[in-house]
Amino acid sequence: MDNKEKLSQIWGGIALPVMILAAADGRCRTVYQNGAADALCSGQNLLDRIPQELCGRLADDTLSLSEGDKPFFCFLDGQVFSLIPFQWESYRVCMFHDVTDYYNQNQRTLNDAIMANKAKTSFLSEMSHDIRTPMGAIIGMTDIALMQPDIPVRVSECLGKIKVASGHMMSLLNEVLDMSRIESGRILIQEEDVDLADLLHEILTVTRPQADAGQLHFSLKLGQIAEERLRADSVRLKQIFLNLLSNAVKFTPPGGEVELSMEILPAEIPGSVFMKARVRDTGIGMSSEFLGKVFVAFEREEKSTVNKIQGTGLGMAITKNLVELMGGTIAVESKPRAGTCFTLEIPFQACKDEESLHIRALRGRRVLLLDADAARAKMTADMLDQLEMKTDLASTAAEAVELINDMSFSDDEYFALLTAEKIPDVEMLLFLPQIRQRMGIHFPILLLSENDWVQMEYVYTRAGIDGFIPLPLFRTRLSAQLYAFTPEARLAHEASGQSHWNFQGKRILLAEDNEINREIALELLGMANLQIDTVENGRMAVERFRQTSPDYYDMILMDIQMPVMNGLEATRAIRNLNCADAQDIPIVAMTANAFVEDVKNSLDAGMNAHIAKPLDMEQVYSTLELFLGRKKG
Amino acid sequence: MKDYQTQYIANLTRAAQLGEIRAELSPDAEHFWEERQKNRAAIVRLVKENTSLLRANLFPVLDNIASASREEIKDLEEFALALIPGGRQLDVMLSYTIHNTLIAYARQWELRDLLIRELYHTAMAVYYLHTMIQDIAPERYRWKMQLLFGEAASYIKLYDEIEDPETRGYIHRSMANLALGYSSSPPATGKRKMETIRRSLQILTDPVFQAKTPSLPWDLYIYKSHQERTTSLSFLRSGGADAQTTREVMESAEYVRDRQKRDSERTGQPPSLRWSVVYESSQYHCGILTLEAFLKRLEEFYLSRDPSDYSPDGSYANLFLPAIYSQYVSQNRQYLQAKKEMISHMYRMMLRYVRNAPAQQMSVSLMRSIMDTFASFIEYPGGLQQKDLLLQMVVCRNPETFVYLQMTACVSRMLLERTIQEMPQLLLGVLGYDTVEEITAARQELADLAYGCGMFHDIGQLNFAKMTTMAGRIWFKEEQEIFRLHTKVGAAILARCESTQLYADAAAGHHCYFSGDGGYPDGYDRTEHPNQPIVDIVSIAASFNRLLDNNIDYTKEPLSLPQALEHIRLKAGSRFSPDLVRLLLEMEPELEEYLRDGRMQAYRLAFQYLKNEDPLP
Repeated sequence: MDNKEKLSQIWGGIALPVMILAAADGRCRTVYQNGAADALCSGQNLLDRIPQELCGRLADDTLSLSEGDKPFFCFLDGQVFSLIPFQWESYRVCMFHDVTDYYNQNQRTLNDAIMANKAKTSFLSEMSHDIRTPMGAIIGMTDIALMQPDIPVRVSECLGKIKVASGHMMSLLNEVLDMSRIESGRILIQEEDVDLADLLHEILTVTRPQADAGQLHFSLKLGQIAEERLRADSVRLKQIFLNLLSNAVKFTPPGGEVELSMEILPAEIPGSVFMKARVRDTGIGMSSEFLGKVFVAFEREEKSTVNKIQGTGLGMAITKNLVELMGGTIAVESKPRAGTCFTLEIPFQACKDEESLHIRALRGRRVLLLDADAARAKMTADMLDQLEMKTDLASTAAEAVELINDMSFSDDEYFALLTAEKIPDVEMLLFLPQIRQRMGIHFPILLLSENDWVQMEYVYTRAGIDGFIPLPLFRTRLSAQLYAFTPEARLAHEASGQSHWNFQGKRILLAEDNEINREIALELLGMANLQIDTVENGRMAVERFRQTSPDYYDMILMDIQMPVMNGLEATRAIRNLNCADAQDIPIVAMTANAFVEDVKNSLDAGMNAHIAKPLDMEQVYSTLELFLGRKKG
Repeated sequence: MKDYQTQYIANLTRAAQLGEIRAELSPDAEHFWEERQKNRAAIVRLVKENTSLLRANLFPVLDNIASASREEIKDLEEFALALIPGGRQLDVMLSYTIHNTLIAYARQWELRDLLIRELYHTAMAVYYLHTMIQDIAPERYRWKMQLLFGEAASYIKLYDEIEDPETRGYIHRSMANLALGYSSSPPATGKRKMETIRRSLQILTDPVFQAKTPSLPWDLYIYKSHQERTTSLSFLRSGGADAQTTREVMESAEYVRDRQKRDSERTGQPPSLRWSVVYESSQYHCGILTLEAFLKRLEEFYLSRDPSDYSPDGSYANLFLPAIYSQYVSQNRQYLQAKKEMISHMYRMMLRYVRNAPAQQMSVSLMRSIMDTFASFIEYPGGLQQKDLLLQMVVCRNPETFVYLQMTACVSRMLLERTIQEMPQLLLGVLGYDTVEEITAARQELADLAYGCGMFHDIGQLNFAKMTTMAGRIWFKEEQEIFRLHTKVGAAILARCESTQLYADAAAGHHCYFSGDGGYPDGYDRTEHPNQPIVDIVSIAASFNRLLDNNIDYTKEPLSLPQALEHIRLKAGSRFSPDLVRLLLEMEPELEEYLRDGRMQAYRLAFQYLKNEDPLP
């Protein structure tokens, strides 16, 4: 009896499809397949019909088809089989078990579950969204009621409680909304240039008062800061830190500590960095059981100390999701009564370095620094020194005025005033407007402050402050702020997008009878390095053009209304001249008359374009470029 | 003001009067037509006179503005203001041109008070231009307006140095008007608007500022700012608002209502309907009223209006209310079934109101209300169709445009039939018909399509009715450019409703060149529109009719039939399809026959519509 017959006797009668395989060198070949297997693949080799990956696994010595308990499914002609492999003598036997019904049923259940989950998410999100509007009305109306004069104490107490409760409800709604957006993939990380200084400042303005209210000691520790400006989603990044910090504050009893530490370290890829941050507290901590669930939505630890504190159990889930959306990781360590420590690592791209440009523009300029806090003043002065700027320090208002007076008799001048928010014995809101008046509208006055600018902006802008530099002070921030007021920055700003406005080597003829208009045009056009000849009427323009060699002028700018000969006649005369470029020279009309018909008349007379008066630099330059560029091309 | 300036304004007013449609004074269409022709000739004389007044007297001064005398500057200022008296838009573009030039003058001679004032007035003129096209080209003027208001407002820094109380007033007004640049969507702009109002109100309510310039109407400024804060609120419901904003809106709403009540008690007049509606709408947007309740309130307001009241409040009730009502229903379709009768009723009444309106009452802002209605027009089976209301609006705003459209429709249909007969292959692809047999079999359907496209291709003109009917001078280049937006306006309106959506391509593409190399609007791609052959037909028919009689620029001399055909012929292959041009030229006898009575027939139809109290089906 040969091998095949033997196999047929043993396996041939089995109703399930069976393959007998021989394995060698990690590959399989079919030794025998029974009738049921033949029927399944119309007499072909069944092994050829199963996925390549599975064949490899069947050849594997360990014969592990599945990872863990997961069955391996094989799809054949609309049927689903579960493969059951085992070792028999020297062969690998593989049985096919038809599980189509079971599989389909499971798949349906799964689909239903996915649909139901989606429906839940969208229901939650719609619902919270719709509740938010009337909720806003309740909160707003409560505020309005609280602001009314002479409300009875009892009523104001009730209103106060409504305010607190509706505030909680609103934050709950917002969190549910955020969570459902995360689940449905609707939150996108929107990167922009973020100044670390701004980010930290904004975080601190929220956290510090919270910590103070909880009688906690809050501290910020900065390690190496390899880059101060990052490409990041500032709103979401702030949300991450505020979530962590507000939790730390909430779960730390009075007298405890909360600490935020941060480093920006260079990453291996040039231009990238990663942020390493830690939020540590000395609060109530978490049990080791809960530690595993801290990032799961709607989970809160069941204990009395926690139950007293408002929360949805969503904050940490949202935080983790946001960190992961940014490509980062978050980890937590905690022990009951010993505090909690969250550690974050998030990668970022660094922004393009602009600092060297800033330093070039600021180098050697003199700043008046007004600050009564000697230690802080020294730090600021050191930083200005690093920017190669000169600093005069004043610690009182009178000293500042003396320095200003001294300066007005010297041949140097102050580039800007940097001032602290408070100076002893002087009302800054009265003092600063006086300085503004003295130094003129273009003199930059900048305020250094730890407080929220939004709260102060109104008052201080009125007092003549141009801008605000947040503390803690960062060098790039300081240099960028100061740079904005340099003539270089103004020029760069004006020329932004129009760096091509340079017509070096181009010569134009300007025909304009009004002397002041000629002056204005000369000034305007001169800025783009044009050479300009002027004439006072059309006749002179024709003459001048006739006398010059061909291609001497690149363009003629022509007023329409002129004595002796107007612009239209002059244009016709030029076009009729018998010179080489009389037909080609671009002639552009300049007039306030922008009637369709008259614009058409000037084109009919042979002009190429029309620029409206009063001259708008942008329009003049783009028209010039149109023709000068074209001619060159 | 100088004599020419007074004369110019008088001419503008006269031209507007001559444009009034007074069908009730005519016994028959022939008489009506004769009257219109007579008036039109008079208007042309005024337009020519006004144009030369400006050419001879104004532009030379503007050209050399830097050397103008103080007296000339003062006259120019007065003239520019008189062109938009109390917000009535007699000639916004000219006013803008003058104010803008005065800015250059003020900068040149460093006249700060004049500069601030002119920045404000220029910005206001830009605002009026902005409102005309804000739905279709929201960014065209917005930045300019913000730049001007912003610069004027920035002088708040030098407040103490500026002594003139009037100039200080302009600073405050500019600051408040920065809010005008923000619409309610997207939510972010709604938010910016609220921040802008907050900043401005902070200063307006500051006792220090009030004490500095006691002569300014602080109350009025504050009141207006609160009013502004209660409009354009849809961002509140789209998640754009924080609790503070909602609270501020509600405060402002109460502030405005209290003030309305007080004024009403003092004068014995009922409170303004407009601000009552705005109040209710703020309650809805803040979450106090449900939409159901809010719509109910709107209905009550609507039913209590006076249908013959042409005061601002009356116009608001009769024209603007239907627009916002249908806007809310169209955004919340679940109410459609319950509210459709009400909506149809409003549309019908609206038409009646517009038909009976005295011409000088039809301000630009009311035209906007009409356009707003079409922007949210609701059509349903068995109800009023947008196409019928659109046509009637055209008839009662500008019968000549109706005549032009009617004739374009007829010529389009004639040309279509000719095409089916001679070159049906040109029409392959139209309405999905891919063979010559199918095209021939669908003759009637295609003829109807060509007729409808001709009838509605220029419907976007409604948005610019003021420019087309009462200009009183020839156009500026800038106006020509704005007017080109009529293609986009028309296409947007037509595409919204089933009864008109097939005509949208014709509205969008009838100014595009056949060669693909010219015309407007930018971005119109001929290859994207399967019905393009019909658009090409309408293009020719429209240009042809405009050459025979220009319904927009009255100063254009009408051409004879052979002249018009010659004009068309010259543009075969570039502007027009050479095949269609050939067919049109072959149709000369047929066209001659049609033109013998075609214009008068169209006029008779217009007249009949105008005389009929209820012309809607």
